[in-house]
Order: sequence, then C-alpha cells, then structure tokens
Amino acid sequence: MTAVAAHAGGGLADHIHPEPQGFIRKYVFSIDHKIIGIQYMITAFLFMILGGMLAELIRVQLMKASGGLMTPETYNEVYSVHGSTMVWLVIIPLLTGGFGNLIFPVQIGARDVAFPWLNMLSFWLFPPAGLMLYASFLMGAPTAGWTEYPPMSLNAYGAHDGTSMWAAAIFLIGVSSTMTGINFLVTILKMRAPGMTFTRMPLFVWGQFVTAPLLMIATTALGAALAALFVQRQFGVAFFDPTRGGSPLLWQHMFWFYSHPAVYIMILPAFGMISEILPTFSRKPIFGYKMIAFSSCAIAILGFMVWAHHMFTSGLAPALQLPFMVLTMLIAIPTGVKIFSWVTTLWGGVIHMTTAMLFAIGFLATFTLGGITGVFLAAVPFDLHAHGTYFIVAHLHYVLVGGSLMGILAGLFYWYPKMSGRLMNEKLGKWAFWLFFIGFNGTFLPMHWLGMWGQPRRVAVYDPQFQAWNQVASWFSFVMTAALILVLFNALWSMRNGKRSGPNPWNARTLEWQIPSPMPYYNFKHVPSVFAAPYDFAEPLPYRGLEEELT
Amino acid sequence: MPENRDPVVHLDRQFWIVTAVLGVLALISIFWWVWAPITSIMPEAVDKAQQIDALFRFLAASGTALFIFICGYILYFSLAFRRHAGTPENAVGIQIHDNNKLEFWWTLAPTVFVVIMAIFSLRIWYGIEVAPSNTLVVEAIGHQWYYTFRYPNVNGEVKEMHLPLGQAVTLHVTSSDVIHSFWIPAMRLKADMVPGLINTFEFTPTRQGRYEIICTEFCGLNHGLMHSGTTVNPAYVYIDPPARYASWYARTEREQIHASNAIEAASTSELKLNGGEPRDGAKLFAAKCSACHAAGPFDQKIVGPGLRGVLDDPAHPNLVDGDKATPENVAKILQNGFKGSMGQMPNQAANGLSNKDIVNLVAYLKTLK
Repeated sequence: MTAVAAHAGGGLADHIHPEPQGFIRKYVFSIDHKIIGIQYMITAFLFMILGGMLAELIRVQLMKASGGLMTPETYNEVYSVHGSTMVWLVIIPLLTGGFGNLIFPVQIGARDVAFPWLNMLSFWLFPPAGLMLYASFLMGAPTAGWTEYPPMSLNAYGAHDGTSMWAAAIFLIGVSSTMTGINFLVTILKMRAPGMTFTRMPLFVWGQFVTAPLLMIATTALGAALAALFVQRQFGVAFFDPTRGGSPLLWQHMFWFYSHPAVYIMILPAFGMISEILPTFSRKPIFGYKMIAFSSCAIAILGFMVWAHHMFTSGLAPALQLPFMVLTMLIAIPTGVKIFSWVTTLWGGVIHMTTAMLFAIGFLATFTLGGITGVFLAAVPFDLHAHGTYFIVAHLHYVLVGGSLMGILAGLFYWYPKMSGRLMNEKLGKWAFWLFFIGFNGTFLPMHWLGMWGQPRRVAVYDPQFQAWNQVASWFSFVMTAALILVLFNALWSMRNGKRSGPNPWNARTLEWQIPSPMPYYNFKHVPSVFAAPYDFAEPLPYRGLEEELT
Repeated sequence: MPENRDPVVHLDRQFWIVTAVLGVLALISIFWWVWAPITSIMPEAVDKAQQIDALFRFLAASGTALFIFICGYILYFSLAFRRHAGTPENAVGIQIHDNNKLEFWWTLAPTVFVVIMAIFSLRIWYGIEVAPSNTLVVEAIGHQWYYTFRYPNVNGEVKEMHLPLGQAVTLHVTSSDVIHSFWIPAMRLKADMVPGLINTFEFTPTRQGRYEIICTEFCGLNHGLMHSGTTVNPAYVYIDPPARYASWYARTEREQIHASNAIEAASTSELKLNGGEPRDGAKLFAAKCSACHAAGPFDQKIVGPGLRGVLDDPAHPNLVDGDKATPENVAKILQNGFKGSMGQMPNQAANGLSNKDIVNLVAYLKTLK
C-alpha cells in the first residue's frame, strides 16, 4: 500500500498549474487536454462541412454520364481536396487529437497529457494547415487525387501550382500528428494512475496506445515524401520525374509506407470507441478483452508490412507481390477475432438501444463489409481486375465512413455529455442514424458493381451505361448528407437545450464517468487507484480515492 | 479476469434455430455465387479471366456467407437481448469474459481460410506473371489520352490491337508520358503503364470479339475519356480467328513499311526550318526525346546529354557528330540518327517523326535557353 501511495504522490501532483482565467488562455491557447480535444473536434467538423460539400459536388457532377456541373479540371481539384480533407483534416484529427485528447487521459486517471504545451502546438498547426490546403484553390488546387502520384502531380504534366501548397499543408499536419503520437505514447506509458496496469486499461486507451507509434513512425515517411515532392516541384530536383532519371514508383512506395499505416490510424481508435460503447450498453464485460487488445497490436505491426498491396498493378517485382499479398491476408485474422468478440459481447446482454449504441452496431455491420472486400483486394489476381475502379472507392468508403466515421458519430453521442454536461437529443439522433445508415449504404453499395463492371475512379465523365446506378448513389448521398446535417444540428442545439446528463448518464464504468460533466480542469481532485479492469458490470467500481470527486 | 469466475452458459434452442436459418441463407448465397451468371454480364475473353472469376466466386461466396452470419447474429442479438420496458435500470447481462475454446476456434477458422485463399491466389498469380516461351509479344504504350501498340517486325506504332485466338500472348505495357493503366475488363487483367518501366503479363485469348480497354490510373484532363466510349480514340482489343489475324497483321506490316518509307523519302530532302511551332515541339520532346534527353543543362545526362542551350552553348560549340551546333545540323541528326561510342540515337523513321515534327522540335530546342 505504501508503494502505491509513493507512486501516486509527487510526480503527478507536481504538474498542477493554476487554472487560467482569461478567455485567450482558457479557450484559445489552452494547454488543457480537454479544451484542445474540443478545439480539434470543432475544427475538424468545420472541415468536414467543407469536405462534405466537395463530396456533394462530386455526386452532382456524376448524376450525368457526360458530367456537366464542372469542367474536368475543376472536378479533379474537387475530388483531390475532398480526399485530402477527409483523411487529414477530419478523420485523423477527430480520432486522435479530438476524441483521443478529450477522453484517454481521464481514462488512465491522469490530469493531463505528458506534454501539454506540445499538445497545444500540435493543435495550432492544424487549422493553418487546413487553411493552406483550401488556399491552394486560389492558385489552382491539386488535381491528382489525395495520393498525388507523380508525374501527374508535376506541373509539366498538367498539375497546378497549388500542389506545392498541398504538400506543405499536409507536411504541417504530419508534423502535428507526429507530435501528438509522441505525446500520447509517453502519456500512456508514464502517466497511468496507480494500479492501472496494461490489462486494466480501457480498450479506447489501447486503441490510442497502438495508434501513437503509427503516428510517430509512419508520418515521418510521409513527411520525407512530401518534402521530396516539394523540392522536385519548386527547385527541380528530379526525385520522381522519369524523364530525368527519377522514379514515379519511389513516391508510391513512400506514400503508401505512410498511408497504409494511416488506414489503421483511422480505424484503431474507432475500434477502441466501439469496444467502450458495446459493453456499456450491453451491461456486459467486453468479450475477449485480451484478444481485442492484442489483436490491435498485431494489426498495427502487420500494418507496417503491407503497404505495397496498393501497388499490385504498379509494376512490383513478382517476388515482392507474394509476401505483401500473404501479409495483407494475415490482417484478416486479428480483425476477424475483433469482430467476433464484439458480436459475442452483444449476446446475453441487456441492450440499451441508445443512439450511440445504434451507431456502434451499425459500425459492426458496415465495417465488416468493408473488411471483407479488403480481403478480396489482398488477393492479387482479384486486385488486377478491381484496382483503380469504383470497387476501390466503395471499399475505402466502407472502412472510412462505415467504419471510422460511424465510430466517430457513436463516440460523439456517447461522450457528448463529458464535453457539455448535456445529452444530445436521442429522438433526433435515432432519425439521424437511420437516415445515415440507409443513405450511406445506398451511396456506396452500388459502387461495388459499378467498379466490377468497368467504371474507373477519378473520372469526370463516364460510360453512359453506368448512369442509372450513379444516380442512385447520388440520390442516397443526399440522404446521408441530410443525416450528417441533422447530427451537427443536434450537437449545436443540445449545447443549450439538451437534457442535463449528470456525471454518468450511461452507467458506464471507465474513469471519465466517475467525475462531473463537463469534466473539471484537473479531472481528478485526488488521483484514483485502480484494482481491476473496468467492465465488470455486476461488481462495485474497481477504483479507490474517488469519494470526493462528485462533491 | 480469471475465467473460472464466469458463469457456465448454455445456448438455448432459439439460438440454434437462428443459426440453422443463417446457415441455410449462407448456403443459398454460396450456391448463388457458384452459379452466378457473371459471363453474361462480362464475357471471359482469355484463359486467365476464367481462373480469376473462379477465385472471385470463391471469395464472394465465402465473404457473403461470413457476412450473413455476422449480420444475422448482430440483428438477432440486438433484438433478442434488447432491454425491455420492465427491466430494472440496474439489470446487467450475463457476466462472461472469455471462452478459450471458442476464441481458439474463431482464430483458427480464419487462419485456415486465409491459407486456402493464399494458395488459390498464388496458383493463379503464378500463371499470370510467368510467361511461357514462344508467345506473341505485343507492346502497348499509353499516351495522354490514347493507346498505341507495337508488333514484332512492324514498323512504328499502330492504333489498333489485334490478337489471334488461341495463341499465347505476352503483353508488355509502358507509357510515353504519365502513368496510365491498361485494363481490359473482359480479361480481368490490368497493369499500370509507368514511364520508364515495362510491366508484363501473359494470357491466351479464348473468345473472339471486340473488348474495350480502360485507363484506371488518373492521367489528366481526359482520363475519363480514355476508354472505348470516346469518339476520338476508341480503345479496343480485337480477338480474331488466326486467319483473320494473319491478314490484319500482313496488311498492317505493309502499311507501316509504306508509312516509314514515306518518312525515309522525306528525310533525304532539305528541310525548311522556318515556321516551326515550339509548343508542338515541346509535346513531341516529352513524348519522343525525354526518355533519353533532359530539357536541362548539358551535364544532366540520361542517355544523351541535356539539351538546354544546345544551339547556344559556348562550352559545347559542336554537336556529337563534330558539326557546328546550328539548327540545320540538329535537324540532320534528328533525320539520320546517330551511332557512336557513347550510345545510339534512333533516326527519323525509327522515332516516327514527320518532317513537320522535326521542324517543330528544332523550334522548341531553340527556346531552351
């Protein structure tokens, strides 16, 4: 007991600074992880509105096989910025800087992250990076998609000047991500409350714990690639220009060495969210806690070794295709184990069908479909047919929207009280869920067969025989957009009008629910100690030292 | 979480009934994918297409069956274990944490599945990548925004692709400008056309007909038009019976000789170098010259020297053949080509340049300062 007390002492308490009072220090240049998390979320949701508007421009353009809304040049800018926005300015910031910052330090019983100032710096690189990306429209936005493969991203082949701006913007957001990764990793390693062993950590913390090294290591490769592209474009060093001895495939390797792990950056935290929400609303321990935690580690490690499966048609040496194919298929095993565990968690529960739970269950269904088509694509012979078509568009939206974004929306409804002290409106929320679920599947399901039948991605005009299904996709995309507007409206409306939540509206058991809502500046009056995993709903809470938190 | 604390649970009859129903649905879906009329929507034009479709049927059948089970259980559990109005607020579910046996099996099952899928994929992949000997070798070249093809013993590039039925073909693909992709959905095969790199695959045409070629790698403004739907450069592959292929080949061979003879004849004449269009020259340079020559300074050598200032470089007043660097002498090299210890440059015919092209190229080279 004395050992625990010694561990709980000094170190953590020493970090206490007085709570800032001025508006600027409190809400703008804040070093409080909760404020920073909310700042991330607000910024990311604003960019989501912009990225969503671009998405709708795409869908309106594709209502007609001959296009018509935009010139191909504008269309290329629109989908390139749409993809870049959603990946770098929406999904990654929401899952790591947003929900990560807001929730995981409290869940491990810490009072802040390890480096609060670095955290503030991470955030403040993000809005300028986003504005830079959008400023690229003024000088001609990038046109070669979010992947920006050279030579198409070089001006000699028709790229716009804004492509350099794009590279600089993404570089900046990459620096921000890297710092967030370091910060979160150190926080989880060094700042857990006494007794919070690794196997007692909530699974959302596990999600952040395996994501942090990905952010740290993979993003630096992206930074190198972007720097090289920038130098090539601005100073003519021919890294990627084949006519001068460069290699366009070099970019693809460097880009995917980041962007495949980035796929896991965009899903592992969402896995963590689902793993919190399912047991809470089933009133059951998560099934196979250790398998879920360890399978996340397996996915993260394997995730570094499979990048070239994006390049099966690019001209990879045959001897390289084999290991990349087999390693990619291996990822199906830990992912499958997770899905089975989540479904089994529902069995025998007392299921509260809240909006958050609906989104979590919706995630299970749609992410599973995206995962299955991912396994298809791992098989090289199948990929030879499907690569570069709308099948890929369908697959990636099933994992990024049906997976990551569904997770984010589930998390928003679940943790909203921790930000505002109020609940989001459940009735509006359920409407939004069903509209979203129907709209999402209606938009992206037809893209599977569109791709198989021969519609390539990134086209401003297409074969008229595909027009009917494209129109179906477009109409459903309006439904999906309406649902998202409803969610945002709900979040704004509930800030003033939502029902007061109290500290623990869901009867959840992780630490953030044991302190008031919204969470106070220091999170905990006394750092609690932990003596079991948090999911035993029939047992008393496994914490000591929380008696004064709600007084 | 010691496992021995978990209550012993028994699955009720309802669960097994639902499982049986899902099993039947899964079987129906497997049956559907095995018999699905894929070829009535998309013909299988080559031997590899049949193999890839077989793999697809296997993937789709197992994927759909798995999806039916997962979604079925999600739906069933969500409904069956839903909290009822009368349930007390503090009611909890069955407090189980783990089941080693269950987790062992559901880790093993996907592992076995992955092994089967990997072996299946590998066998087909091996057939695509490894070419047997004495095949017909055809080269496809991507351009913004059309395809051209080279055939053995045929001069220059032709705009149509014909293949003989039943003859094994090795296809090399590359690009003259940006990355394109060469996809024939009816063949289920695709390779990116990367400038400076040759990608190869092998197949045997098994079905006569005309099939469209589609570019799936973003290649600029008209990327969406780079397929058979375009009226400008329709992209098709024609699979002909051997006799018809032979006559097409003979005709093409003849026509291409004439085409290059015409260029050859023209090249002996003096060129008037006035009135060249540098912008057209720049495009030609990117397409025809830039694989060996940079538009940069002399020392920036790829195969030949960089050509910036070739007409106005005090350090290198003479061309490679010793002549003075004048527009006329540059045009001469473009016409005749060059062969020397440092390498070889193809002549006008081999490069497929018209006289006008040479005039335009010289005009462009003048602008490189």
